[in-house]
Amino acid sequence: MFQAMGVHGPTLSPLASLFLDTFLLATAFWLLAKPTKRPVLDSLFLASLVLSVSLIRVVMQPLPNIQPVTVAALLVGAQLGARRGAAFAVLVAMISNFFMGHGWWTVFQAAGWASIAVFGSRLPLITVHGLHMRRAILASVLGALWFDLVVSLSILDGTIGFGEFLIYLGHGLPFDLLHMAGNLVFVVWLGSWFAGLLEEKTTLDEVEFAAVNSHVIDG
Amino acid sequence: MIDLNRRFAACFFIPLLFVSLTSAVQSSSSWEQENSLVWEYDFESGFISTAPIYHDGKIIVRTSGSDEPSVTALSVEGELIWKYTNSATLSNDMSPLVHAQAGTSSCGTWPELILVGWTDGTIDAIHPDNGTVHWSIQTEVAGWGITSVFSIEDGDVIVPTRTGVGQYCLADGQQQWWVETGLGWRNGVTATPQGYFSGDEKGNLWKITPQGNATVLSSFDGKIRHPPLETNAGLLVHVQHPLNSSIVLVNSNNGDVIQEFISGPSPAMPVLQNEMVITGDSSSLNIFSCQNSCELINTFPHHTNGEIGVSPDGSIVAPTNTPNANWGMISFVESRDGSYSQIDIGIYGYGTSSPLWFFERGANYTVFGNDQSLLRVFQQIEQQPPSFQQEEFDWGRQGLLFVMYMFLSMSAIFFLNGNSEWFLRSTSVLFLLIILLILPELSSQWSKTFDEQFPQESLDEDWNEEWPESWLETQMVTFDIEGQTYTVGGLSGYGDVYSLTEAATGELGFEFTAEKTEIGWYISSINGHGGDGWEYFVDGTKGVVSADKTPVDSPTRVRWVSV
Repeated sequence: MFQAMGVHGPTLSPLASLFLDTFLLATAFWLLAKPTKRPVLDSLFLASLVLSVSLIRVVMQPLPNIQPVTVAALLVGAQLGARRGAAFAVLVAMISNFFMGHGWWTVFQAAGWASIAVFGSRLPLITVHGLHMRRAILASVLGALWFDLVVSLSILDGTIGFGEFLIYLGHGLPFDLLHMAGNLVFVVWLGSWFAGLLEEKTTLDEVEFAAVNSHVIDG
Repeated sequence: MIDLNRRFAACFFIPLLFVSLTSAVQSSSSWEQENSLVWEYDFESGFISTAPIYHDGKIIVRTSGSDEPSVTALSVEGELIWKYTNSATLSNDMSPLVHAQAGTSSCGTWPELILVGWTDGTIDAIHPDNGTVHWSIQTEVAGWGITSVFSIEDGDVIVPTRTGVGQYCLADGQQQWWVETGLGWRNGVTATPQGYFSGDEKGNLWKITPQGNATVLSSFDGKIRHPPLETNAGLLVHVQHPLNSSIVLVNSNNGDVIQEFISGPSPAMPVLQNEMVITGDSSSLNIFSCQNSCELINTFPHHTNGEIGVSPDGSIVAPTNTPNANWGMISFVESRDGSYSQIDIGIYGYGTSSPLWFFERGANYTVFGNDQSLLRVFQQIEQQPPSFQQEEFDWGRQGLLFVMYMFLSMSAIFFLNGNSEWFLRSTSVLFLLIILLILPELSSQWSKTFDEQFPQESLDEDWNEEWPESWLETQMVTFDIEGQTYTVGGLSGYGDVYSLTEAATGELGFEFTAEKTEIGWYISSINGHGGDGWEYFVDGTKGVVSADKTPVDSPTRVRWVSV
């Protein structure tokens, strides 16, 4: 949408762009770092998830403002927690924008999706029966509006007033509607499957560790 | 109770399917079935901005633009007969060709002539048989010369020149009188028993006596760019304003405004058909019935800014002045208030020329031309029993419709079966497909409405004293590229930012590339500079929709800034 409308916000110099990329990468890895060791498979799984969703986003580029990443970030946050959800969001934004166009707006896209991942981790989207569909639908539809608002902030470069910004938001409402409709389709068709895919299965080691721990405490 | 509700809902869904199927069957216009293409002629460059005329077995077409502005005569079979070129003319000749019958008057005798007005101010009277010049005169030029339609009265031709109206003898072109009015562009003159009427770029409606005395009958805040129409209810003018237009009925005796209707921007040239007036603009085609007063009968969404044609059977045909669109037709066969359809004649792109209709050797012909330099001639097919014709099947569109019907029927089935999960899935996809289909038009209309409700402040673009005076009151484009400013002016007749920019880059010799997106054309580079994109401003106001969807006025100032 932004490319077609020619609105881009500030232009970054190569040095600024490098600093931005470094900052985003560092943020992503900091979010991924945890005190406890994670199995290698978990890291590989997250990496493949990031690459897959990035690829889907690039492939769906001809469809304006249909963003599968929004729903993915929401569910990753809900299942894997805020940190990994935010890291997922930052990495997807960076990798997909490498193909689609990288700039100042990448920060805002990453922030938008990361915040949605955090919201997803706080909302009771996952129940014992799996994904709570109604809550997921509501969260994904509202998430679309929130994301579009956050990304719209990228055009503020000191020359645009508040009134102009509101008018700019107003012009984008049909595309927000499309984003919401796209999210609805994703969550209805793929939400349960994707949430199930992300569900962390307890390993044998963790079962034994929990059992030993509880005996020690009892002892 | 739940089953009853589901059955009731099914009764709602099922008719939707059949309604859609019905409209799908009727998607092909009957005009396309009744007419077949016989030949086309490619002029290779230039615009066909005004309707061709037919004379004695010849189709006479004028083309305009920077390469060989000409008047060309073609046979009904499409063979070149003669060509008359005026290389000195300025661009975008649009003054309609006028055929004058042979005759005699007090000022002399003349043969059959084709009268041609050029933007360099020349009026040529040429022989229709061989294209040679019978007489030629020069009128004044201020930026450009003649852009308007002439009116033939007895032995004279009444010509709206650039700054006035003149009467010239058909025998030799000698000026009988000339009176100064206002700057005119495509204004035209209407002859009535009360005198001649013409408008100008300041919105003045002039009344000129047969002796050549001019007075302002009425004034409007806008521009009058067509010959006023003399209706039973009064004089009708379609006044162009910056963001919209008004259709005004004026008392031809005292200039009082009798009625006024608001319409869309960039009005076309209205036509009078018996008691019906057809107007057009960038948003609609409107039908008025004007007897004692004018009443709006019907309106249809359509984008047209030039000529509107009336066929011998009373149908209205108007070109569409957008990059990829078909021609619009209003037929009165099925409904007295008119029914609208689009006809696909195989040439697309900007167009302001109405068709030509003529009858030759027992067949009816229709001739189309537009800014693509293509002339297409169709012949009406003799009525035959219906037969299965192999038509091109639009797989994409039909496939999408099939998918939508499939999801609609799935939704109905799942709803009846109480399967809420699959009902939600199928309905969500249907909803998404509908939004995808309507998004381009929805976003365009939404943006227009938004701009009308919340107009942004505009900044004054300063005039540079180094620019030629001929650029005054014209369309100008400025490019800010890496600290350098390039400006071109003297342009006219462009209806939107995209086409104006394309013309401006052509004048400057700049390379110009654009990409088609779902929401319009995106300018990706100008003169090899792409950077992070381009922004544009129209008269100081930043554009927020794609360039092809932003209308421009004349005069106007467009500025492109590299981001």
